[in-house]
Amino acid sequence: MMTIQTLDRTRQGETPAQTAPAPLLAVRNLRTSFVQRGRWTSVLDDVSFDIAAGETLAVVGESGSGKSVTAMSIMRLLPPKTSRVEGQVLLQGQDLLTLPDDAMRRIRGNEIAMIFQETSLNPVYTIGFHIIETLRQHRGLNETQARAEALRLMDRVRIPSAGRRIDEYAHQFSGGMRQRIMIAIALACQPKLLIADEPTTALDVTIQAQILQLIKELQADEGMSVMFITHDMGVVAETSDRTVVLYHGRKVEEGPTSRVLLSPHEAYTRKLLAAVPRLGEMSDSPLPARFAEVDMATGNSTAPRPVVDTVDHAAAPVLSVQNLTTRFDVRGGTLGGVTARVHAVEDVSFDIHAGETLSLVGESGCGKSTTGRSIMRLVNPVSGRIMVGGRDMAGLGHRDLRAMRRKVQMIFQDPVSSLNARMTVGDALTEPFVVHRLGSRRAARDKAAALLQKVGLDADMASRFPHEFSGGQRQRISIARALMLDPQIIVADESVSALDVSVKAQVINLLLDLQESFKVSYLFISHDMAVVERVSHRVAVMYLGEIVEIGPRQAIFDNPQHSYTRRLIEAVPVVDPARRHQTRQIPAEEIRSPVRQLDYTPPTRQWRTVAPGHFVMDEG
Amino acid sequence: MISWFGSRLIQALLVMLAMTVIVFIGVNVVGDPVAILIPPDATAAERLRVVQAFGLDRPLWEQYFSFLNGVLHGDLGRSYVYNQPALQVILQRLPATMELAASAMLVAIVIGIPLGLYAGLRPDSPLAKLFMAGSVLGFSLPTFWVGLMLIMIFSVNLGWLPASGRGETVELFGMRWSFLTLDGLSHLALPALNLALFKIALVMRLVRAGVREVLPQDYIRYARARGLREGRVIWVHVLKNILIPVVTIIGLEFGSVIAFSIVTETIFAWPGMGKLIIDSINVLDRPVMVAYLMMIVVIFVVINLLVDLAYTLLDPRVRLAARGKS
Repeated sequence: MMTIQTLDRTRQGETPAQTAPAPLLAVRNLRTSFVQRGRWTSVLDDVSFDIAAGETLAVVGESGSGKSVTAMSIMRLLPPKTSRVEGQVLLQGQDLLTLPDDAMRRIRGNEIAMIFQETSLNPVYTIGFHIIETLRQHRGLNETQARAEALRLMDRVRIPSAGRRIDEYAHQFSGGMRQRIMIAIALACQPKLLIADEPTTALDVTIQAQILQLIKELQADEGMSVMFITHDMGVVAETSDRTVVLYHGRKVEEGPTSRVLLSPHEAYTRKLLAAVPRLGEMSDSPLPARFAEVDMATGNSTAPRPVVDTVDHAAAPVLSVQNLTTRFDVRGGTLGGVTARVHAVEDVSFDIHAGETLSLVGESGCGKSTTGRSIMRLVNPVSGRIMVGGRDMAGLGHRDLRAMRRKVQMIFQDPVSSLNARMTVGDALTEPFVVHRLGSRRAARDKAAALLQKVGLDADMASRFPHEFSGGQRQRISIARALMLDPQIIVADESVSALDVSVKAQVINLLLDLQESFKVSYLFISHDMAVVERVSHRVAVMYLGEIVEIGPRQAIFDNPQHSYTRRLIEAVPVVDPARRHQTRQIPAEEIRSPVRQLDYTPPTRQWRTVAPGHFVMDEG
Repeated sequence: MISWFGSRLIQALLVMLAMTVIVFIGVNVVGDPVAILIPPDATAAERLRVVQAFGLDRPLWEQYFSFLNGVLHGDLGRSYVYNQPALQVILQRLPATMELAASAMLVAIVIGIPLGLYAGLRPDSPLAKLFMAGSVLGFSLPTFWVGLMLIMIFSVNLGWLPASGRGETVELFGMRWSFLTLDGLSHLALPALNLALFKIALVMRLVRAGVREVLPQDYIRYARARGLREGRVIWVHVLKNILIPVVTIIGLEFGSVIAFSIVTETIFAWPGMGKLIIDSINVLDRPVMVAYLMMIVVIFVVINLLVDLAYTLLDPRVRLAARGKS
């Protein structure tokens, strides 16, 4: 063991003189292939990069770019039978790819630790079990020592009352706390390198900010290197010293993060950056804005077509929600009675005019999706009025409700599960038209063909099945389906959240085009502040089931009044490399839940008018 | 927890009450025990005496309530044939059936789980394919035929193992057991294997399906990324996650083995409850039939209770109070 290591070191020393100190990790000509239908297909092609001691390298790319495969290849975690890794992965000069399995196992979790999305803890073991298991594996501690060390680690990542919580299970923790536990496990053996694979992707922004800050602090304390895998350019800017951009398994660009973000050399990087909405870049216009389109061949961007003002302020609003309240019962106890209530939506009111986009923003559990679902009557509200074109949806019978639903259509988050896999795209599109008896099948097919073209697909794709399309194309199909009934209002519930950045930009451009042609109104439900800034005319911020601030988009982003709105805006990672070395004081605050006791009566809220149309709830 | 236990107990009592009604009516429909019990040349007076002794002259509902009254006092009636309390007749046979059922399940677990793990971890290996093909045989070959083949091969041709009876027994807790002596064990081997064959196939397929489902999970990848030994990943992190369906099936199968191992007990002349119930049905020994069926209900209720408790040990996300209400 020792001799091999020394040999490798000397060999490394013989290579032509390097000015920089030897990197901690050197990936050389990494080529990874998978067996697909009996043939070897390469998914990573000739990727090389270094990570210096104490440095953070961001590996950024869209889905399918090979960023996770890179991490899995380094850790040798790919299934040996169906994958092949070639090249060199040198950790302090020692090639990990040629190590015996047993020696490699001693590197994993010990020299190189890895964290994934926070759902990766085994649900049937306590979190203490996970930490202790790792400690005993690598550090040879006994049970008592390991438990004491586990408690120390939990304190270190600031998990409150560690002594009690060590024996709890993953499902009893919030997402942010689970990610802290994974970080504690990663720190257990003081690794030289931490590989973080999209660790904050599923977290709310305020929680993401806490976790990023925690990783930064611990990195400084421990002096470890970090390889940060992400698709989020804002996260790249906040965390990394250098950046590698991957595209289709190839490295397209590498350099210091500030250089890559501010003056990208390659066309793909430019395209990627053009598609990233930046918070605050819209403050000079009250209207939404399209994304610039970048030509992949030249890297030149064409300025987007300006957006025309589509809002019809003169007419009555197309949708008027008044004092909407939706609650769910929590059952439990001996007799299964109601023990508490989720106040999911509490006294929510807003109007949407024709051609207008109102965004509902907020973090998980704030009631934004329930508001959308209540409007669609997918859940039944407890009280309140939902006026569509002057008629109250709430009081409608089954038949009238169906007719009204034509006017309000919904696009869901997941384009995979919202399209029936056994129906052709053409059938999926024509079905609502035929069900609502709007015309003949022939008319339905013609309309479907026209709409497919309108959303940027080919009319003859109607005979294909959903699995033959990419995620972005499927979301276009969902949009086309919603448009089949000529709705006045489209409720878009996190409709672009699952899409890659460049696809997201295209779909948002499409939504803006459709608003221009059809004067359709959107209720745009999203947790992504930067996207919301792009698409909205007006914004409503929701917190614990209530709207705490509502107003024109410009006013909300430039002059936020409510403390929650400010916290939300501040937490968004910004594509500004200067933020890498900023430390922010973020309290380890959890997202509160709107579950209330049965005798809870919502307080009477006072509203303050900041400017015409801009209202904020008084914080008392 | 306690309220859950209470509500389960009430449920169980209601099930048993319903069962007494069904059993009592059913047993009365099958035939007249007196016709079988007394000699054909008996006089009408003798016949009347027997009928009165058994209480068969009273209306059905009256017989039913006097039976219920007896049950409340721990008396399930007297066997017509053995002239002993029916419960005692059954309890004498219970250890034989219990040890047969338990050893069959044990064999199924000890063989089925490792085979299933292997087949799940290496689904493309020839050996795994062989196991899967074998499991189809385990499902489809009739028990009686497999039993006869086992006797042919191991008793008749090879002469390794005895073909019938319980062999030497030892008394423990006032009951007689075979598994504590070598001779008893050798008698137990063939019938247990015969009963286990189907269960091995079942457990193996369940475990294999579970492994295929659990392996791609994030927590398995994460366990490997933490440098855990492959053995630990599989026996600790994979295994516990696949045990819930396995425990469910083992519980149900254990109950059905106790209740319905009649074919195997008959072939191997195993003096268990299965043989007793067949004999009792032949002579229409009503009290034994009723008591046996009540006993089976109790066993199923208890096994289901244990299975539910096992869930909570296996998966902390299962909460007893919430079960059965969703």
